[in-house]
Amino acid sequence: MKSIRPPKIGLVLTLIACSLLLTGCWGKREVEQLAPLIGLGFDLGQKPGSYLITEQFVRAKQGKEGVEVQDRTFTIEASSAREAYEMISKISSRIPFMGSLRVIVIGEDVAKAGINDMLDFAQRFSEFRRTMYLVIAKGKAQSILNLKLRNGLLPAMFIKNNLETGDTISTFPLVHLGHYLTTLDTKITAPIIPVIESIKPGEEGVEYKADGKDGAEIQLQGAAVFRGDHLADFLTDEETKGYMWLENNVVQRALNTAGSGESKVNFSGQVLNSTTKYKVSDQDGIVGLQYQIKASIAVDEVMGLKEQLSETGWVDLMSEAEKSFAKVIEKECQVSIQKERELGLDFLGIGRHIEEENPRYWKTIKDHWEDQIVNFPVSVNIELTIHHSGMSSGSPTTN
Amino acid sequence: MRSWLKMLKELTVRPKVKRIRKSPSYSFDEELNKPLSGQTVREILAKSSDIVFRDFFLQGKERIPCLLAAIDGMVDKNQLDQYILKPLLVDLAGHPEMAQLTIANVLDKTIQSILPGLELKKISKMEEAINAILSGDAVIFFGESKEALVFGARGWANRGVAEPITESIVKGPREGFSETLRINTSLLRRKIKHPSLRMISLKLGGMTNTDVIVTYIENVAHPDIVSEVFRRLGTIKMDAMLGNGYIEEMIEDNPYSPFPQIAFTERPDVLAGKILEGKVGIIVDGTPIVLSVPATLTQFLNVNEDYYQRAMVAILSRSIRYLGAFIALLAPSIYIAVTTFHQEIIPTDLLISISASRQGVPLTALQEALAMLITLEILQEAGLRLPKPIGSTIGIVGALVIGDAAVKAGLISPLMVIIVGLTAIASYAIPTFDLGLAVRLIRFPFMILAGILGFFGISVGLYTLLIHLLTLRSFGVPYLSPIAPLRLRALLQDTIVRAPWWALKRRPQLIDVEEPQAGRKGKG
Amino acid sequence: MERVSPHQFMTLGAGVLMGGTFLLLASGVTIASGRDGWMTVLPGFTVGIPYALMVFSLLEQYPRKNLLQISEILFGKWIGKIIGLVYILTTGYYGGLLLALLGDIFERSIMPLTPLWVFYLGGLVLAIYLAGSGIEVFARFSEVVFPVVVIALILSVALAIPRIEQGELLPILDEGLKPLFRGVLKVMPFAMEYILFLAGISTFLPTGKQELGQLRTEVWRAIFLVGILNMLVVLIQILVFGPEETIRLANGILVLGKMVEVSRTVSGVESLFMGVWLGAMVIKMSAFLFMVSWGIETVFSLKGLKWNFVVGVVFLGIALGFTRGPYMLRELSVTESYLMFPFASLWIPLLWGVARWKKGAGV
Repeated sequence: MKSIRPPKIGLVLTLIACSLLLTGCWGKREVEQLAPLIGLGFDLGQKPGSYLITEQFVRAKQGKEGVEVQDRTFTIEASSAREAYEMISKISSRIPFMGSLRVIVIGEDVAKAGINDMLDFAQRFSEFRRTMYLVIAKGKAQSILNLKLRNGLLPAMFIKNNLETGDTISTFPLVHLGHYLTTLDTKITAPIIPVIESIKPGEEGVEYKADGKDGAEIQLQGAAVFRGDHLADFLTDEETKGYMWLENNVVQRALNTAGSGESKVNFSGQVLNSTTKYKVSDQDGIVGLQYQIKASIAVDEVMGLKEQLSETGWVDLMSEAEKSFAKVIEKECQVSIQKERELGLDFLGIGRHIEEENPRYWKTIKDHWEDQIVNFPVSVNIELTIHHSGMSSGSPTTN
Repeated sequence: MRSWLKMLKELTVRPKVKRIRKSPSYSFDEELNKPLSGQTVREILAKSSDIVFRDFFLQGKERIPCLLAAIDGMVDKNQLDQYILKPLLVDLAGHPEMAQLTIANVLDKTIQSILPGLELKKISKMEEAINAILSGDAVIFFGESKEALVFGARGWANRGVAEPITESIVKGPREGFSETLRINTSLLRRKIKHPSLRMISLKLGGMTNTDVIVTYIENVAHPDIVSEVFRRLGTIKMDAMLGNGYIEEMIEDNPYSPFPQIAFTERPDVLAGKILEGKVGIIVDGTPIVLSVPATLTQFLNVNEDYYQRAMVAILSRSIRYLGAFIALLAPSIYIAVTTFHQEIIPTDLLISISASRQGVPLTALQEALAMLITLEILQEAGLRLPKPIGSTIGIVGALVIGDAAVKAGLISPLMVIIVGLTAIASYAIPTFDLGLAVRLIRFPFMILAGILGFFGISVGLYTLLIHLLTLRSFGVPYLSPIAPLRLRALLQDTIVRAPWWALKRRPQLIDVEEPQAGRKGKG
Repeated sequence: MERVSPHQFMTLGAGVLMGGTFLLLASGVTIASGRDGWMTVLPGFTVGIPYALMVFSLLEQYPRKNLLQISEILFGKWIGKIIGLVYILTTGYYGGLLLALLGDIFERSIMPLTPLWVFYLGGLVLAIYLAGSGIEVFARFSEVVFPVVVIALILSVALAIPRIEQGELLPILDEGLKPLFRGVLKVMPFAMEYILFLAGISTFLPTGKQELGQLRTEVWRAIFLVGILNMLVVLIQILVFGPEETIRLANGILVLGKMVEVSRTVSGVESLFMGVWLGAMVIKMSAFLFMVSWGIETVFSLKGLKWNFVVGVVFLGIALGFTRGPYMLRELSVTESYLMFPFASLWIPLLWGVARWKKGAGV
């Protein structure tokens, strides 16, 4: 094969270059023309079939000490996301940019009506990514996103940060859009999404000094269970914690035995790591699920200890502590399983576990699984070990 | 119209044989064909004042009139006094040897028994005589004899062996080539004391008659490459051969590519290393730059310092250099592509701060980048022409200072200044000047592509560049060996990783020569 | 004569076999075989091995000829020419569809507002440059680019591991083996395209007995490498998305790229990976350009750069005719399954069979 003679390829390249350069540039947007969207909120609109879409944009300005972030939050009543996009573009001089979206806040009312339609835009348009977090707001998403927080952050940023540091306490699940969609597709498991609410001073046992009447804080606690894509019920804090244990989602957890009213000495500690395994057991034709939780804990507080203990005494105390902690975990798990039976919604994913391990049996019961949940035998077995009890063994005593 | 096209064609398409301009109407060739005689030489050369003619007589059986011709300034006058004039006129006056001399035997006798001096030989052509005088030798004519003697007594002012300017290293020899051919060949000989080292000399240039030496090691260099070198040098028919640049252009495989296909060096140890690998060196009189062929891309990113350092350290420096070359080529383009097309790559916090810093900047990212980089190029070019202490720093420092001022004036964003500084510094990591120039040249099309088409444009540009490099050959050797075609052994030995010397059992197989086809230039 | 060394043969073959298959494969096999779709990939590709061996044994008998020329020898001039014509038409049409796929992928995922013809032009410039520079440059190009594609794929898979949803792979084989056959049927056309490429490139392959043996090993390596990589891609998608989502997502691997988040700074690196996928698709498209020009050369004895341009323009025309994504995708799979697959799977064995019979008969 001959090589291309230089003048000819020069001609070709010039032609191509001309055609590319002379006709404008497509899809090109300068950074300062963008309005990054960091939070999206959905509520039910007043007109039937319309939504109240809250979009939280950021406008960055070069201030004296650095970058100042200005809040540009709008709430639009529209029947689709694209209509909202159009209406916002009429107000804003910048192009809304979806690629920076991190949090989608879904209001309680619209969650009850069904969320798949609203989320379709998020999973179809290429600028979004499947790792966006979903949260359900108690009340209206609009009011949460419009809060003026004491820490100066925009609510969406704050929610995102809070979600991402959730591993240290593992009391709520971290659900991103992809996970929600995958769970929905199994058609067996009920999706579960964490819940946020705004708290005023004095609510939920937290007191703080508010900046005028607008100052507020946002708390992440509990979760919401869905039937398909409709909100079914809320889970309390304890039930959500049980869910976390059973779904092997606990990374670190703070445990506390006070309040169980069992013994005089109360302990608290931090779970260092925990693993949950499950097994489908078959006893005389009755299939059940057995959970096995193995956790290790470091004791951080010993309260109510009135006397100095010997070495063996201390060891005994620690095994007592193990039992107390195990009881706490068991209670949380049982409460969660109870809720599942009550609702008839399998948010713990038990059905899926059965399908994975014993598909033949699953085929026989999958059509009336919701009824089966109520009586399905589930057992929880907890094995806890205490690694250590901190820098000291005994507590300072008065005698 | 047709004449325009023809002119365009002449300027862009390189013919096989090139004549720059016809010699002046005066044809020198006739003179050279005249029979040898001192009288004729005097006539040809007497017009210049720096040519010295010394008449003297030898009294033998007959009285022989002699003429010594040499160029003042090129010949070592001391040697002429000591070893020609003194013996002939003073020491041996009246000596019985002298009494035997006749015109017929004077040359032989002089060479064999009378004159000391290492380089003394007979010539019989006018052309040789003129060349000898013009090269700095002294020629002695004896009466009407048709032969003359050439006495090699060259001694002109030269720079001597000094530290090379373009290549400096920390740990290694500091000798550099000089402008005199003989000094250079002697430096090379001192590195390779093996009889297989060949030095073949030829003359190039119609008017300049420049001496050129082609050097290689007999059984190490591939004979096809050697013969190809000679063939290409033979096609050069120019009047002027003032330096290596002229040769480079004439014998390159692809003069349209911005990439250099011939390596050059100013250091004898580097040249020796290359020749030992099987390459061919071309030493040109009058310039300290020595060419070596064939040259592959990875060579341009290697420095001889790597061989003097420890293997592990050398691996690190090489990787940094490759990374630097990559950054120098693509940093501005990636910045442009990311900020104008693919903002989703930027983390949200960074996006907000970039957005803030770009408030009020009137230029788009592409225009900003082009403006800054053109300024950088101007400063770098200016820096080369300024005196040494100022020149080297003005390149980057100037760009950063001007960039800073521009930021304060609100013309460009601070991130751009960082990118430009990074690019400039990274391009200094490329050791070879030629390759650095190529990268600087190619940077601009990449930026334009990035500004129009984002990452798609950069990808298409990179692939096109890759295909171009793959089609390049240097004297039959694919430009991108040993990466493609893949020679795993050579890749591990001398590209990014340098194998320690104790790991090399065989001579590195760095050249992959495919049979060149007869008559084809380049692609085999 | 230009030559291709065995190692270049492997990277070239693997590059052509891989092409852009990993972009569309997951969705297709999951529709066909459900959750166990990932198991069908490797067997589907290995179907190509016996065909490749047949091509090599033909090569042994008729060195330095491509299969079209061998067809002319064995079947007679006119049938050979008709086969050549079918070859040209199928490969040409498919090449145009590949160009359309390239534009579609780019427009859909990262650059929605750029007109399609820009992508087509960019891809064509590369393909024509490659085709004009000869098979050796093409082989070296894939030698450099294919390892990069492999590394990018492995990175994509590895970076998606933190997103794996537990237990999505189970239960394995609960539907039995029958659905797997449907999946294998979906994968086999890709191997056939590779065989068609082999049919044309055989002129450039070395002919010594030892080298043919080397080539056989390289074919095994290429097919297994590509098969395993594609299997990993499908596997990771099922693990991360679950089977239903995998079916819904048209370009799963791009979505995987979007989900990458390394320590909260580097995220959304699909644009970087797109540059690499562009290289893979360009390799396959250039291979088809080569095939058409070999076909034209053999059947009509027309050579030269200008014919490459003509073929390029034809590709452009075909691509521009399919601006609507869904239609193009359907056309792509129809052409693969009903045109190329039957053509290749019947022609090669027939050729081989006749050649053996002739050899046996001592002709």
